[in-house]
Amino acid sequence: MSGEFTPKIIMFACNWCAYSAADLAGVSRFQYPPNLRIIRVMCSGRINPNFILKGFENGADGVLVAG
Amino acid sequence: MDKCIACGECAAKCPKKVTDTFNAGLATRKAIYVEYPQAVPLKYAIDAGSCIYLKNGKCGFCAKVCPTKAINFEEKPVSVTLQVGSVVLAPGFSTFDPQKLDTYQYSQYKNVITSLEMERLLSATGPFNGHLVRPSDHREPKKIAWLQCIGSRDINRCDHGYCSSVCCMYAVKEAVIAKEHSAEPLDTAIFYMDMRTYGKEFESYYKRAEEEKGVRFLRTRVHTILEDRNTQDLVLRFVDEDGKLIDERFDMVVLSVGMETSKELAALARRLEIELNADNFAATDCFSPVKTSRDGIYVCGAFQEPKDIPYSVMEASAAACWAEADLAPARGTLTKTKTFPEERQVADEEARIGVFVCNCGTNIGGIVNVPEVAEMAKGLPGVTYVEENLFTCSQDSQEKIKDIIEKKGLNRVVVAACTPRTHEALFQETLRDAGLNKYLFEMANIRNQCSWVHSKEKDAATAKAKDLVRMAVARTRLINSLGQPTISVEPSALVIGGGIAGMTSALGLADQGYQVYLVEKEGQLGGNARALLSTWKGDNVGERLAEMIARVTGHQRIAVHTATSVKASSGFIGNFETVVSGGGGDKVLRHGAVVVATGAEEYKPKEYLSGRDPRVFTHLQLDQAIAAGDPRLDSADTVVFIQCVGSREEERPYCSKVCCTHSIKAAIRFKERKPDSQVFIIYRDIRTYGQREYLYKEAREKGVIFIRYDLDEKPEVSDKGDTLAVVVRDHVLGRKIELHANLLVLAAAIVPRDNETLAQMFKLSCNSDKFFNEAHAKLRPVEFATAGIFLAGMAHYPKPIEESIAQAAAAASRAAVTLSKESITVEGVVSHVQQFMCRACGECERACPFNAIAVQEVEEGLRAAVVKEALCKGCGMCAVACPTGAASVRHFGDRSVLTMVETAFAAEA
Amino acid sequence: MKSDNSRKVQGSVMVVGSGIAGMQTALDLADSGFYVYLVEKSPSIGGVMAQLDKTFPTNDCAM
Repeated sequence: MSGEFTPKIIMFACNWCAYSAADLAGVSRFQYPPNLRIIRVMCSGRINPNFILKGFENGADGVLVAG
Repeated sequence: MDKCIACGECAAKCPKKVTDTFNAGLATRKAIYVEYPQAVPLKYAIDAGSCIYLKNGKCGFCAKVCPTKAINFEEKPVSVTLQVGSVVLAPGFSTFDPQKLDTYQYSQYKNVITSLEMERLLSATGPFNGHLVRPSDHREPKKIAWLQCIGSRDINRCDHGYCSSVCCMYAVKEAVIAKEHSAEPLDTAIFYMDMRTYGKEFESYYKRAEEEKGVRFLRTRVHTILEDRNTQDLVLRFVDEDGKLIDERFDMVVLSVGMETSKELAALARRLEIELNADNFAATDCFSPVKTSRDGIYVCGAFQEPKDIPYSVMEASAAACWAEADLAPARGTLTKTKTFPEERQVADEEARIGVFVCNCGTNIGGIVNVPEVAEMAKGLPGVTYVEENLFTCSQDSQEKIKDIIEKKGLNRVVVAACTPRTHEALFQETLRDAGLNKYLFEMANIRNQCSWVHSKEKDAATAKAKDLVRMAVARTRLINSLGQPTISVEPSALVIGGGIAGMTSALGLADQGYQVYLVEKEGQLGGNARALLSTWKGDNVGERLAEMIARVTGHQRIAVHTATSVKASSGFIGNFETVVSGGGGDKVLRHGAVVVATGAEEYKPKEYLSGRDPRVFTHLQLDQAIAAGDPRLDSADTVVFIQCVGSREEERPYCSKVCCTHSIKAAIRFKERKPDSQVFIIYRDIRTYGQREYLYKEAREKGVIFIRYDLDEKPEVSDKGDTLAVVVRDHVLGRKIELHANLLVLAAAIVPRDNETLAQMFKLSCNSDKFFNEAHAKLRPVEFATAGIFLAGMAHYPKPIEESIAQAAAAASRAAVTLSKESITVEGVVSHVQQFMCRACGECERACPFNAIAVQEVEEGLRAAVVKEALCKGCGMCAVACPTGAASVRHFGDRSVLTMVETAFAAEA
Repeated sequence: MKSDNSRKVQGSVMVVGSGIAGMQTALDLADSGFYVYLVEKSPSIGGVMAQLDKTFPTNDCAM
C-alpha cells in the first residue's frame, strides 16, 4: 500500500437490484478500486442503523447502503 | 452451448466485425457474440452468415482461445418433431422500414433515425452508454424533432391504414428521457395528428411532458425534410395551425415508426393455416381475442394487433388460460417433479465446511491467485476441506462436490466463484442431492465483483478474494438448516363481479377444473354489457352475452351468487375465507384465489343539458334506445356527438379509452340508416387506436364531419325549441359555428365504482383516479401486490370488451398457477417473532410492505405479532422496525450479517 | 375451449417467440403443470423489450 489514503468501504447491497447491478458491472468489465466489500442482504430495508455503526467500528471508512 | 461460460475470449479474438442489429445498426459487434451483456441464456453464438471459418474454412481463432472447448463448427441445424397439445404464437412485430418513404430521406440523412435507434441511443447499454449524441458528428443535439405516424395511419404511401397504438406514448417518453439525458437544455418537438395517450396513467404523463418538462406538441404533418450539407442539420417544412408555412431547423429527427407483420411471419401463418386479416395480423374476434381461426392455435401480442407491453402480457396469459382449459385432462402428465434424499440433521454438529474455489477458466484464475486463496481458506475456523476447480459449475464438478460432501461428512459448503444471482440454485440442488439442506450454502462472489472489476490489479484482487472467502466462511458457520413451510391450497376461486370480465375469469378457471364462486351484487349477470349494442368489430353483444351467461349458469363448477355482496374476508394465498351476504343470508366461502372484476360505470353528465333534455343521450342510453327501436333515431336530420364529456379534464384527468370508437361506430350507423343526415363529431383527439382507425376512415368517407375543440373552449349547448343549438369554434374555419341538432350524444366518461370498500377488505391499492392498482404496470398487469388476488376488466381502467376478456382470462391463468398446486412451498428466508419478547406495539405491521405480519391475539389475553409465512418475502423491514428485537429474519439474522462486517477487512487488521 | 375427452390430449404446448408475450405464456403454462417448448429464432430470449431503454408511463428501465 502506498502512503496515500485509500478509504475502506463496506456496501450493503439489496439482492434484487444493487447486488445485481454490481454483478452487471463485472459483466461489463467496468473497473473500480478494489477497496470495496459487498455484503448481500435480501432488501436494503434490512439494514439496521446498528449495522452501519458496526461497519465503522470494524475499520470501514465509509458504508454504502444501496437498494 | 452447455460448455460456454460466457467469458468473451472468443469475441475478443474474433477478427470479423459486423453490424450490431441489437443496437439497431448503430454499432458493430463480432461474428461470435452475445446480443447484450444481460442476455439469457448468456452464451455466445456464431453468426453463421458472417463467420470467416464457416464461409471460408479458415480462421477458427475463437475455437483456439475457448477455455472450455465449447465451439463446434461442425454443428448443423437439425429438424425435430414435437408432439404438442396446443400452439401459442407470440412472434411479435417488425418495425416499419422508413427507407420506403422518400420524404424523410432516412437512408440519406445521417441524423434522421428511427425511434428504435433512439431507444438504443438513450440506453445505458447502447452504443454510447446512454450519452445522447447525434450519429453524424457525435455532437450533443440541442433540438430534436419526432415525427409521428411513420408507417401508420397512411394508406397512400405505405399501405398501413391502422394506427400502431404505441408510438405517441413512446415518443413522449423518448422526448422526456432525452431532456433528462442532456446537460444543456434540449428542445424537443413532437409533430403529430392526434395524441393517442389512451392508456392507464398515459394522459397525465402527456400533460406532465408538456407542462412540466416543456416538450412541444405540434399538430401538423411535416411534408419536407432538407439537410444542410455543411452542418448536417435538418430543416423541417410544415404548415402550422394558423396555416403559415414554417421552416424550422433541428439537429436530429426521430421517425416514430409503426409496427408491422414481417413477410416471413405472414408466410409462417400461411403454413400454419391460420387466417390473417387485411393488415397481416392474426384474425380474432372480440369475444375470443387470442383464439386464431384454427382450433388449438392461440395468438398473443403485437401479431394480433399493434399493442403495448401490458396488453401483450395480458394476452399472453389469456392464451395460456385457453390452452390450459383445452389440455386440462393432461395437466401434469408430461412434467416431472424431482425427488431428493432425506435431509441430514446437522444442527448439533460442529461446522465442517467445504470450500470450493473456482478458476472459471482464466476468468478468475488469470487474475486472482486461486492457490493462495485456497491455502488461506484451509486455515479458517470450521473449514475441513478445500478444493480448487477449473469450473466449479460444470456437471462433473457437481458429482464431485456431492461425493465429497458424503465422504468428508461436510455439513456446510462455500463456493467462491461467480454470483449467487445465477448459480446459487445450481449448487443448492447439489447440496440437496447430497442430503444437505439448501440453506447450508454460501457463495463468495470472486468473479463478477472481484476478478472482472479489478483485472489490472492482480494482488489487490487476490487480497479482496481472500476477504470475500473469509467473510463467506464466517457467515456460513452461523447459518442453519431452514424449513420451507408448505401451505395447502384450496382449489377454488372467488370471482367478484358478474360482468363480462368476471364471467370470463370464472369460465377460464372452471374449464380448467377449479370450483368458482361468482358473486354479483346486481340481480342478474352481465354488467355494463347488457346495455351495449355491438363491439367495434360488429359482434352482437346481446347474443354473445346471452351465450356467455348460459354457459356460466349451466357450468357445474360455477356457483353463481347474484344480488350478493362481499362482506368480509380473511386469510391469504391458497386459503382465503370470505363472507358473502345475499338473499339467503350470510355464507362463508373458502377459496384459494380471488379475482376482482367489479367493473366501472358510465359518468352521469351534468353538462350539455344531459338529464334535462330527452334529446340528449349518453353512449349507453343511445345503445339502449337503438335496441328499443326509438323512432327519433331514424328521423333525426342532424346528430351531434361531443367527445371527452367528463374525461381529460381537471376533475377526471384520464382518457376513457372507449368513447372515440363508440361514437364513430354509432355515427356510421346514423349515416348508413339515413345517408342524407348530417352527423358531426366534436372531439379533442380521435383515439381510434389499432385497427379501429379504419372506422375513423370509414366515417370520414361516409361524410361524418369532425370538428376539433380545445379544453379552454368547450362547445355550448342550448335549447332552441325544435332543435338543440351546439356552438363550437371550428379549427379549420377559425370561427364559431352553430349546429342545430335533433339528437345530441355525449361520450360520457367511464368512472370507477366505489373500490374503497374492497380495497380495504383485501388491502389493495387504488391510483389517484380511484381505479385499482396492479402490481406492476408493465409486467404484472393482472395481479395485485398481495399474493393470490387478481384484477380484471374496467375496475383496472376503462377498456373495450376484447381487452376486458383478455385481461380476465389472464387473471384466470395467473390464479390457476396457484390453484393447480396442492400446496405451495414458501422460501425459508422469512421473518419470525419470538413471542416472549414481543410487546404487540405493531411497528412491524406498519413497516411490512406485504401485509405479512400482524398483531393478533395468540392466546387468551395475549397479543403478539404473527408472521404469515406465505406472504413474507424476507425483506427484514419488520426486524429493523422492531424495538425489542423480537422480530428477526431467518438466514439474515443480525449475527450472520455482522460477522461479515467484522471479517471484511480482517487481513489488514 | 371444450376438450374432447375421447382423444388423449398432450400435456405440452409449443410457444413460438420468446419476447415478453411468449415468455409470459410459457411461464404460466409451465407453472400450471404443462410442458413447454419455447421456440426462438435469435440466440437469446427477451425480444424487442430488451432493446428498449425505459418504458412508459413509469419510466422504469425496460431491462
